[in-house]
Amino acid sequence: MPLEIAKAKPALSLESNPGASAYLTIRDLIYQTSGIYHPNEGLSVLISHCAHRMAALGTTSPSEYLEHLTTRPNRAAELRLLLNEIAVSETYMFRYPAQLDALRNVILPQILQVKGFVGPKCLRFWCAGCATGEEPHTLAMFLLEEKERLLAGWTWDILATDLNDNSLETAGAGIYAEHALRATSDGMRRKYFKDVGDKKLQANDLLKAQIRFDRVNLSDDSQMLFQKGVDIIFCRNVLIYFDPASKRRVVQHFYSNLLPGGFLFLGCDESLFHVDDSFRLVHFSGATGYWKPAAAQAVGGRQ
Amino acid sequence: MNGERSQLRAQIKQLDSLATAPAILKPLLDMMRLPSDQIKLEKVIELVSYDSAIAAQCLRMANSPLFGTRYIETVRSAVMALGLERVRSILLGLCMNRLIPQSKWVIAPDAFWRHSLGCALVAQRMAQKIEYSEPEKAYLAGLLHDLGFLVNSVLYTEDFRECLRRAAEQRAPLHVIEAQLLGFTHCDSGQLLCEHWGLSKEFVDAARCHHDAGPLPAAGPLANLVRLSDLLCRVRYLGYGYDEIMGIDLGGDTAWQSLVVIYPALKDMDLVRFTLDIDGAMEQIVETVDSVFAAKRIAASATS
Repeated sequence: MPLEIAKAKPALSLESNPGASAYLTIRDLIYQTSGIYHPNEGLSVLISHCAHRMAALGTTSPSEYLEHLTTRPNRAAELRLLLNEIAVSETYMFRYPAQLDALRNVILPQILQVKGFVGPKCLRFWCAGCATGEEPHTLAMFLLEEKERLLAGWTWDILATDLNDNSLETAGAGIYAEHALRATSDGMRRKYFKDVGDKKLQANDLLKAQIRFDRVNLSDDSQMLFQKGVDIIFCRNVLIYFDPASKRRVVQHFYSNLLPGGFLFLGCDESLFHVDDSFRLVHFSGATGYWKPAAAQAVGGRQ
Repeated sequence: MNGERSQLRAQIKQLDSLATAPAILKPLLDMMRLPSDQIKLEKVIELVSYDSAIAAQCLRMANSPLFGTRYIETVRSAVMALGLERVRSILLGLCMNRLIPQSKWVIAPDAFWRHSLGCALVAQRMAQKIEYSEPEKAYLAGLLHDLGFLVNSVLYTEDFRECLRRAAEQRAPLHVIEAQLLGFTHCDSGQLLCEHWGLSKEFVDAARCHHDAGPLPAAGPLANLVRLSDLLCRVRYLGYGYDEIMGIDLGGDTAWQSLVVIYPALKDMDLVRFTLDIDGAMEQIVETVDSVFAAKRIAASATS
């Protein structure tokens, strides 16, 4: 179930809030359990998420809410509810253009160069935790647009998986409200979607044919071992729900699923610090990714 | 390169006569080396008051909607409203601006200041994280690392303009294009200007080495901090006014590797978290720079 991080407008400031130290503790707790970090300047966003949960629990005290998260019997459930609050399931296509730019400008040219020498000219992508399918559809459009340019002579395979059957069904149908296509250009809409009425658009056959949907449980070792030879994995805002040990196991699987030189993309606010040190963190213009180094290869070239 | 360098050195000596270095530049640079808590408010007010144009700028900015609605009419209250950090940045920014005539600016001055202040702030924060003893020095080194831009703009205006145009067109690092077209880079000219101004070796090294991807054995921690800060700014939209195509493994960079030997605290720095932290701080930089330049534009249109 990949979820998008809510970017609410700051409503409260740290200085004007009496429970500042409780919020800082909650910030650290969220960071330690989910890897999502709220910098000081973005703390008001976290405070407004907490406010929703506090209202639901009928408390106005941040320190009492901290107790709900840390010492009370329902703490695990409350933490999950807060995480749900932080990560809302609303998402849309072309949500992370900087990651796609990194793919187009840096990563794919490098992979194509290495793979061009050996083996079939085929790229493998995996959207792990694809939810309702916005991400794999975006990727498919991106690749189709590059078909005559960067990817001339290449084929690709996009595997999109999720644990939730309902999400997979929605993703497979490929029917989206206008809102999900708000960052998709008119040209792309015309090329890859058809109007199905009721202000909804459906992915056309060309777009649908690019993606294989499947049910995969990221915690199931046997299923994870099965995925091999992947070039790029997207797993955005999924690992935030895993405890540190399970998260480490999933990330280690991703590492072996990837080919040398491959990349793992997480949500913009997610960090693998203290979770895994096999991957190398790489900064691109406006984006970060995790790289499985190939022997004697440097990333990015010019600096 | 040797021929170009000696020619460059000779030309830099004439730079002082090309444009007048503001009289407050030297005391200002001296002040910037001090930690914030040792800077005397009176001294700052004195520096600001020394130059009427700078005083006017501070007053104008303190009276901008960013800093509340209260009308401010003294330099003292303007300095207090803006805060020491901002005043220092404004002072140095305006001083440098005046070093070169308006027509000779090749890079957009606001883009240049956003990048310089960005590097200054990142270098300072990184210095604090790794427990480097003089974070203020890191701030100054970050601020001054691209002085070579000013030299190139004044002495090689058209050639440098072509470098920047090609770099932006190819989305390539500027120093690579400079080396191709000019035979030297802003690191070389920056080094020479820093030497000419009598700045200490650490600042000279930071200006000289910040684009060196190879090992920096002779350079101290400041040069390494500035190199990393420069890279980080360029991947967070605070480059030279265009978006470069780049992928960098900061943790694998030689500057990082050199620093981690002396400052093991660097190992405990979550770079994703640090990047998010500085993104927030950058917003303030952009805001400061934009208001300085908006005020300049208003002033320019009022006098024209």
